[in-house]
Amino acid sequence: MISLQTINPINDNTLEEIGFAWHTDSDESKYVANELVIVTDDEAEAYYEAVNELYDMYATAAQHVIDNNLFFELGIPFNLIDAIKKSWDNDVHWHLYGRFDLAGGIDGKPIKLIEFNADTPTSLFETAILQWALLKHNNMDEERQFNNIYEAISENFRRLVTLFDDPSEFEKHYDGWKILFSSVSGNSEEEQTVRLLQQMAIDAGFETGFEPLGGVKFDEEGIYDSHETPYEYWFKLFPWEDIAIDENELAVLLTTIMNNQKAIILNPAYTLLFQSKGMMKILCDLFPDSPYLLKTSYEPPKGLQCVEKRMFGREGANVKILDAAGNTIEANDGPYGNFKPIYQEYVEFPKDAKGNSYQAGVFFAYEACGLGFRRGGKILNNMSKFVGHILR
Amino acid sequence: MKHIISAKNIMLGTTGIVVLSVLSGCQSAPQEQEKQNKFLVVEQQPNGKYVVIDEAPTTGPSHAIIRSTDANGTVTERVMSEAELKNMADQEYKKMQEGKSELNSEPHGEGMGLGGTILAAAGGALLGNMIGNALMNNSNFRKNQDSSNRSAYHRSASGGMNSSTSSEKKSFFGNKGASSTSSSSSYGG
Repeated sequence: MISLQTINPINDNTLEEIGFAWHTDSDESKYVANELVIVTDDEAEAYYEAVNELYDMYATAAQHVIDNNLFFELGIPFNLIDAIKKSWDNDVHWHLYGRFDLAGGIDGKPIKLIEFNADTPTSLFETAILQWALLKHNNMDEERQFNNIYEAISENFRRLVTLFDDPSEFEKHYDGWKILFSSVSGNSEEEQTVRLLQQMAIDAGFETGFEPLGGVKFDEEGIYDSHETPYEYWFKLFPWEDIAIDENELAVLLTTIMNNQKAIILNPAYTLLFQSKGMMKILCDLFPDSPYLLKTSYEPPKGLQCVEKRMFGREGANVKILDAAGNTIEANDGPYGNFKPIYQEYVEFPKDAKGNSYQAGVFFAYEACGLGFRRGGKILNNMSKFVGHILR
Repeated sequence: MKHIISAKNIMLGTTGIVVLSVLSGCQSAPQEQEKQNKFLVVEQQPNGKYVVIDEAPTTGPSHAIIRSTDANGTVTERVMSEAELKNMADQEYKKMQEGKSELNSEPHGEGMGLGGTILAAAGGALLGNMIGNALMNNSNFRKNQDSSNRSAYHRSASGGMNSSTSSEKKSFFGNKGASSTSSSSSYGG
C-alpha cells in the first residue's frame, strides 16, 4: 500500500500567480493532490538508476533501428527519416529532456517501463516547481525531494554549446546564439511549460524569444520569429509525428534547414524514434533479460493479460486492457486509432488505501533528475491527478 | 553511493525565486491588469552597470529579477515587486526632468545604473502611457533604451537587428498554431 502524507494545498490565486493556471480539471476537480507520496531514499535511488539505464538502452536501440532500417516497423513517417538520421549523426542535436513513465518502484513493486515521452513531455511545471513549492508552503525540508529538474535542464541547455565538455565552460564558447520557444496559442499548460523552459535557458545564459507556433516563419535559410529575427535554435512543444502527418511541407523544409546547418530543432527529430512505442518491442529483442521491461510485441501475446497501445498514442487514449483470452476488460477511446498497435504485458500499478493507481514520472536531462506521480484508475489519462512526493 | 539531488537548488533559479516571493506574500495578487506589464531580468555587468537580458510581457503585475555581482564575484538574485520598480522608475524620471539622469545624455557604452535601466525598459508600463510616450519622443532616451536592453523581445519589438528581407518565408500550423480549444495539454503523453 502506498503511504501518503496530507498537506495544506496552495490556493488557486497563488497558483495562478506563479504561472500555474491549470489547477482545475474540466470536471471541476483539483488537478494537484493535497497529499504527498512518501518515498524512501533507496526507492528514489532505484528510480535514478533505472532511468539512466533505460536511456542507455534506448540509445542502443535507436542505433539498431537506424542500422537495420526499421523505421516502417516503428510507424515512423517516411518524410522524417532523413531528419532523424541527420540529427542522430551529429551531437549538436542534443536531447534536452524527456520523461519516463514507470510502474512500480514503491511499495516493494519492481520498476517497469510503461513508456518514454521523449519529444514533448509536459508535467514539467508540476514536477520541477510545484511539488517543491508544496514543500516550502508546508514548511517541509526541501532537501527531502528527488527533484533537481530545474538545474539539470538549465545545465543541459548549456550542453547545447559545450556538448560533452564541462557545462561550466559555456560562457567561454557561447557566442550569442538565440533559442526561440514555441507552443500552440490558447493553451496555458503548454505555453507555461515552454515559458518555464525558456526561463531555464535564460538562467543558463542564452538569449531567447517566444513566438506562438502559428507566428514562426521558415525558409531554407532558417527559422524566424514574427519580426523575422533569425534564431539558431527552435524549441517546439509540438509532436514531430504531427508535423510529419499534418505539415508535410514543413517536415521537408525543416530537414533542409538542418542539412544547411541553419538551425537546430529541439527536441531533436530522433526523439520521434524514442517516442514510438514500437521501441519497447525492439528493447525487448535487444535486452531480453532487463528487469525494467515488460514483454512487448506487435501481436497480442497468447495466454497473457496485456495492454494494447498505439505507436504514437498519448495520455492513455486508445488504450485497451485485454485479459489472457483477448477480451477487453477496460478501454479508452481516442484519436490515435490509425496508428499501428503494440501489445505490452499488463502490470498493476501500486495503489493507495482508496484503490487509486500511481504511475511514476521520472524526468531525464542528461541523467535522471526528478520524480513525480500521476494518480488515477487502471488507465492513467488526461483526468489523472498530479501527486508530489517527499523522501523519508 | 547516493546520486539523488534534492530540490534545494531550485531556489538558485529565477523561477524558484519568483515562486518563493509569491508564496511568502511579497508579491501582490493579480489585479485588473494592463497588457503592457513586463517581466524583466536585469543583470549587473562586470563594469557595474545594469543591462536587461530578458524581457517579456506579463499578464500579472510587472516584476523584475535583479542579478547582481559583488566584489568577490558572488552572484545574488532578488525579486523587485511592481511597487519597488515604480518607486525606482519614478525617482529616475524626476532626475531626468531635472536633467540629472544618465538618460538625458547619449549612452556611454552598454548599460546604465539600475534606475535608468528600469525606466528605459518599462517606463510606460510602470508610470503610465502618458509618461511612456513622452519618454519615447526623447531621442537620447531611445538610444539609452537600446544600449541597456539586450533582450530578444526588445530587439524584435523595436524592429532592430533584423537581418533577412526575404519574402519567401512561410508560416505553418494553420488552425493548430492559432488556437486550441482545449485548456489542457494533448501532448504530454
